[in-house]
Amino acid sequence: MSVIQVKDLKKSFQSVEIIKGINFTLQEGRCIALLGPNGAGKTTTLRMLSGLMKPSSGSVNFSGLEKETDIRQFIGYLPQHPIFYEWMTGREFLEYVGKLAGMSKADVKKRTDELLELVGIADAKNRRIGKYSGGMKQRLGIAQAIIHRPKLVMLDEPVSALDPIGRREVLELLEKLKEETTVLFSTHILNDAEEVCDDILFLHKGKLVESGTMEELREKYQQAKIDLVFRDDMEGILKSFSEKGLLQSYLIEGGKASVMVENIEEARRAIVEEVMKENLPLVKFEINRTSLEDVFMKVVQS
Amino acid sequence: MRQWFILFNKEMLEMARNFKWVWVPIAFILIGVMDPITTYYMPQILDSVGGLPEGTVIEMPTPPAPDILMMSIGQYNMFGVLIIVLITMGLIAGERKSGVAGIILVKPVSFSSYITAKWAGGLLLVWVSYFVGLLASWYYVGILFKWIPFGDFIQAFFTYGIWLSFVLTVTIFFNAFFRSPGVVGFASIATVIVLSLVSGSLSHLLEWSPAQIAGYTGEFLSTHSFPEAMLPTTLLAVGGIVFLLIGAILVFRKKELAA
Amino acid sequence: MEILESINWGILLPILVIQLILLVVAIIDLIRIEKTNGPKWLWVLLILFVNIIGPVLYFVIGRRNQ
Repeated sequence: MSVIQVKDLKKSFQSVEIIKGINFTLQEGRCIALLGPNGAGKTTTLRMLSGLMKPSSGSVNFSGLEKETDIRQFIGYLPQHPIFYEWMTGREFLEYVGKLAGMSKADVKKRTDELLELVGIADAKNRRIGKYSGGMKQRLGIAQAIIHRPKLVMLDEPVSALDPIGRREVLELLEKLKEETTVLFSTHILNDAEEVCDDILFLHKGKLVESGTMEELREKYQQAKIDLVFRDDMEGILKSFSEKGLLQSYLIEGGKASVMVENIEEARRAIVEEVMKENLPLVKFEINRTSLEDVFMKVVQS
Repeated sequence: MRQWFILFNKEMLEMARNFKWVWVPIAFILIGVMDPITTYYMPQILDSVGGLPEGTVIEMPTPPAPDILMMSIGQYNMFGVLIIVLITMGLIAGERKSGVAGIILVKPVSFSSYITAKWAGGLLLVWVSYFVGLLASWYYVGILFKWIPFGDFIQAFFTYGIWLSFVLTVTIFFNAFFRSPGVVGFASIATVIVLSLVSGSLSHLLEWSPAQIAGYTGEFLSTHSFPEAMLPTTLLAVGGIVFLLIGAILVFRKKELAA
Repeated sequence: MEILESINWGILLPILVIQLILLVVAIIDLIRIEKTNGPKWLWVLLILFVNIIGPVLYFVIGRRNQ
């Protein structure tokens, strides 16, 4: 079942189009990464979904809700740099936000204790937020985003400001969140997305360049690749391979030729045969697969 | 309504934690008693400053008691207004500028509750502070000069309080417009000054302007009766407060909370 | 020093006391607060030596409100 449908969403600031018409649907219970390099429009997209910003055009629809319903009770949102009332304690802040979301007093108390435990700041619950470290604020931010048990939780770069340990812990926290609700989080690090997510939305320069489940994308982009090293005349040999139609494309880099092929089995046989027939000075022959990372880099650099 | 009280209670707690509940009333008391005391001790002060030949007898007519209470109101018209603008200018703009509004307002918080709770919180602080301040002034006028009937004091208190409430509401209104507390403060002060200057110089044309309230309060204190324009002025000021509040809510709804 | 004798301290004392409260509260807050706008030592001087206006200025602009 889908949670939210986004149709032809656009956003301009002073006639510069930041988001150039994106479409996607988020399925319930999934963890979705909004992936893209800095400046791709991730924050703007999340802000529009959360209602903090109004789209220039297009629509954001929650499934099963009337158009006029206040969607805010169904979403949780954590901004990239969360700011709190520093004069409140962590517990006070969670209780305040929970009550604002319409939870009963007893429920708020119970849920606050539960979340403080879950995100691992129970020890600091009675300390003023002003004295919290960056990582603690990030956890508090996640807790406040999910306190009212939203159907969709949106987190803007929840791990990018953290040190490796904090990052690991927050990623594990996201794993736990997945069991409770639908999670959409933005990141510019593919690794983070691969680690916890089921689906990927790949945003680049305000456009959705790719989307799908992790498996789909891996399959799609796991193009067969063969690395070859010849003792000499690499250029000449590969050129002739190319002319004979043995390969799609190649790239010589650092004394190594990376060869893209359609079918890895056929290519292997053809190349080996050719090497035997022509007695070519083959030094290394290695079958590889391109990763999402390569695709990500390619899109980002283009 | 439950949500409104949650927001309002948060304002109260915040004003306690940042000591506004301590320093604003004290500031209003000190501003209030300044004139009664300096007026009373004026001969001694002049004497100690010196420069006058030995034996000079300083003859100064003692001003009537209502005039001295009115001097305190005159001080509130400057410093009181300034303090009100300064403590109100960041109430909403500050939260938006820092970004905390982005966390609070993605929760299902009604914009009108958010604004009116802040308005009511500020108003309570201002009325309490202004009350203890003017009460202190009235007390000092009483013991140093002559007692003004308490009923007169109460009437003057409520009348002039309308103007202070108006100033506060103007500041709340600009809070909905601008993200920077400094800009809010500047716009509010500028509005109050322009309104006062224009109302002062064109007083025959603008006799219903809320900026006349201070003058009318003084008139009441010395003559025991309000001018005829007092009623429409009051209505206009109260109407203006309601109008500005509604305007603030409408503007705020249209604003993008994050930019 | 005639002037000091001629002053009725019963009148001025309450005022001095609340001025002192204002000053003390400002100093306590200044000690507890993590950061101020502008250097802390400057605020100490202002609060201690600029009567009334010092503490009020501190609360209005010196304190980083959050």
